[in-house]
Amino acid sequence: MPRPNPDPNTGALNVQDPAFAARPQPIYAWLHEHFRVATTLGLGAPILSRYEDVVFALRHPKIFSSEMEVHMALGNERPMIPQQIDPPAQTSYRKILDSQFSRQRVLALEPAIRRHANELIDAVIDRGECEFDRAFAIPLPGRAFLSLMGLPQEHLELFLELKNGIIRPPVPPGDLAAAYEFRAKTSKRIYAYFEQVIDDRLASPREDLVTYFTRVEMDGRKLSREEILDICYVFFLGGLDTVTATLGCSIAYLAANPAQRQRLVEDPAIMPLAVEELLRWETPVMLVPRLVREDVTIGDVTLKAGTLVNLLLGAADVDEREFPEAHRVDFNRQRNRHLAFGAGPHRCLGSHLARMELRVALEEWHRRIPDYAIKPGETPRVSPGIREVTYLPLVWPKRGS
Amino acid sequence: MKVRVDPEKCVGHGRCYELAPEVFGEDERGHCRVLWEIVPPQLEEKARLGEANCPEDAISTSEV
Ligand code: HEM
Ligand code: SF4
Repeated sequence: MPRPNPDPNTGALNVQDPAFAARPQPIYAWLHEHFRVATTLGLGAPILSRYEDVVFALRHPKIFSSEMEVHMALGNERPMIPQQIDPPAQTSYRKILDSQFSRQRVLALEPAIRRHANELIDAVIDRGECEFDRAFAIPLPGRAFLSLMGLPQEHLELFLELKNGIIRPPVPPGDLAAAYEFRAKTSKRIYAYFEQVIDDRLASPREDLVTYFTRVEMDGRKLSREEILDICYVFFLGGLDTVTATLGCSIAYLAANPAQRQRLVEDPAIMPLAVEELLRWETPVMLVPRLVREDVTIGDVTLKAGTLVNLLLGAADVDEREFPEAHRVDFNRQRNRHLAFGAGPHRCLGSHLARMELRVALEEWHRRIPDYAIKPGETPRVSPGIREVTYLPLVWPKRGS
Repeated sequence: MKVRVDPEKCVGHGRCYELAPEVFGEDERGHCRVLWEIVPPQLEEKARLGEANCPEDAISTSEV
């Protein structure tokens, strides 16, 4: 008998459970009903799942800090900038970064993303089937990232290999020491790669992001080489898998819900609202951690300073107290303050870029392959943590048949 | 109608200027800039749409 998840008596939630990753919404609803503060199985970290509690935590970094001891878990040698530092230091970085990721800026990349999307579709459309993650959801954000950073598209394979080395190190499951070692090795290669890019841009400046980092002044000084490396590292980790996961979750949902898909096909103008609603419903980055710095009371539970907590963004996004009919996916939802990109000072730096990538990808896919379904007899697989649909076999009618 | 944005709360989600570009604009950081001190009647609904979609509660509208 598998253990029930969450444990009905204690509210302990196994966040690594693949069944939870595949269909988290009913479990979120259960938490809303039974535990304002639940706990993480194994780690013991309290879990907040109400919209009001999660948004409060995100907006109060003095109480809920992003500066944590566990910050080397992803192979990085120093805290990740700006993700693992608090205001006011974090604010200085955001001041120089935000302008490079504004909606205005990312719209300039739209034609390139549209071209990348169409090239990926060209490669599969005549076959009438594909495994969506490998064929589209993984390479598209990779290509977008290379365009954003002004790096050659030929480096795509290398990038994907390095990213996998961090996110899914090829070691026996559960062998934490081996995973740590593999990540550390991979991160050295990532740092070395960007070291070279920095050297190159110092020698021959261009109109690109890395050149900008070598020149920009923050609080009256230039960025150090380490800072530039740290920023590149967090872009690399934050900008690839998240978009991959959102694309996979969105297409898996639409494949299983043909009436909703039909709406997008018939009325592509609703795409921006549909993207927001899919982000809300799926919330692929299902949780973010914080370290409690001052004792704080949530409901009738006091969280002590020093406690690690998990903010369940996914649960907040289906909280009936914030979203009427929260468990209905409504592409016409007029009030949608979802937290899929977080909130407060750490609001996703790449949110405008991600929104544009998602909109363009879904527009092009539905324009060219409107009628797809999950391959009969197959079941998609979803990874925990960041909900990437790692196996998503699709079929559609071949052209002319 | 008057519309105001609290710069201390705004973190640049951009939901307002995406949904209601007639009422809200953006500065170079992508933070909100209100385009009208007094919103013309035909844009009041748009102003409310922006207010309702700000994840930071940074926008407030009031009758004048
Ligand atoms: C749909 C895709 C994406 C989702 C769902 C997503 C989600 C998130 C979330 C939830 C946070 C907040 C983390 C926290 O509060 O601890 C975040 C932060 C961040 N994201 Fe994204 N992200 C996406 C795409 C991107 C892209 C394309 C980039 C490109 C560079 C990016 C870069 C960042 C950075 C740098 C931060 C840290 C910001 C800070 O701490 O100030 N993200 N993201
Ligand atoms: S939606 Fe709110 S936080 Fe976002 S830019 Fe507008 S005012 Fe600022």
